[in-house]
Amino acid sequence: MNTFHLEVVAPDCTPFCGEAERLLVKTTEGYIEILSNHTDYLATVDTGKAKITVNGKARVASVSGCFLSVKKNNVKLVVNTFEFADEIDLNRALRAKEIAEQMIKEASDKESMAKAQAKLMRAIARISVAKNK
Amino acid sequence: MGSASLLEIKRSIKSVQSTMQITKAMELVATSKLRRAKERAEQTRPYHKALSEAIDRIRSYEATTGSVFAEQRKDPKTCIIVVAGDRGLAGGFNNNVFRLAASIAEKEGGNCCYLPIGKKAVERFTYEKKEILTDSFVNVSSFGVSKSIALGNTLADYFLKGTIDKAVIVYTEFVSMLSQVPTSSTLLPLSPLENTASGENESSFSDEPLYESSPDEMLKRIVPSYLGGSIYIALCESFAAECGARRTAMNSANKNAEEMLNNLSLGFNRARQAVITQEITEIVSGADAL
Repeated sequence: MNTFHLEVVAPDCTPFCGEAERLLVKTTEGYIEILSNHTDYLATVDTGKAKITVNGKARVASVSGCFLSVKKNNVKLVVNTFEFADEIDLNRALRAKEIAEQMIKEASDKESMAKAQAKLMRAIARISVAKNK
Repeated sequence: MGSASLLEIKRSIKSVQSTMQITKAMELVATSKLRRAKERAEQTRPYHKALSEAIDRIRSYEATTGSVFAEQRKDPKTCIIVVAGDRGLAGGFNNNVFRLAASIAEKEGGNCCYLPIGKKAVERFTYEKKEILTDSFVNVSSFGVSKSIALGNTLADYFLKGTIDKAVIVYTEFVSMLSQVPTSSTLLPLSPLENTASGENESSFSDEPLYESSPDEMLKRIVPSYLGGSIYIALCESFAAECGARRTAMNSANKNAEEMLNNLSLGFNRARQAVITQEITEIVSGADAL
């Protein structure tokens, strides 16, 4: 199968760099799958699931932020957090979810509400990825 | 008299020795921390590069000359982010940053507020009674990715609301083990795009890409992360520089201590000899008197 060069870049590390066959990510407009020879493309990435297929094997990961860029078969997925399913600490994610729910209850203004919601989204994404690995 | 000065010299030798133990330990700690900090600083570069590339890419195709983030406002209220250390004993590390921050504040003309990062910076600007946006970033070493990105979001928010019109970050760049240079860079507004001869170099984008959402929307989402990334890089650099500066400072402290010890032990030996000589003369003259 045709491949493209995929690089996943996080602020503190590069979780994935190499040839991939497919990449499934959730953009702000919905899920999109990138195959090789995709047209040049830019999108912002939402908190959610990502799936990278290498040699017919799919690896699932939880992703939050920032954007996806495709340029001449070079794909860059720039993220704020990225964890493959087997790297996720499920207990920690469950705890984070509880904290986030508490924060939503206590949120007084729009800003802290948005923060809490984003935190909850991240926790839910992690949990669902970790459970369906 | 002789034995009193002997004791005194002995005491100062001991105190120098114990100080030297501390400075030696600090040098070792700084060296090992430095190695890790340097690696961390290197690892953040790809992220930052990817983000700034994307921003340039979007902006180069926008019909208008720029986005809201590139707006140059008149009489700007400047937010100066000052990244310093948590602790002293690092030579001129903290002071050099503050000096640069002060000169920038002067250039911007009075209308400034500060966002200090690191205990020393917070202390300094509270003491000077400057306008501080927030003093909650006391601990540099615990300042991770998520905090940087949160701070980037806050900054972008402030900028859009008009609370601040300009954001400058002042930090120390890690050049090498021996040289750390305080530098500053303007985060907001985004610098105007350079009109390089497009199509010639490989990094220029010849075809307009497909956008998922409008370019402006995308910039609104990317720019906060870009700011966060820039802040994170500055922090990593600054931390590496702090370790470097401390290492150098402690190294010279060690050398000084060694020199002092040499002088003191020389003095000690002389004093001891003088005491012995005096005792012998006393005994001899005592025997003569008999």
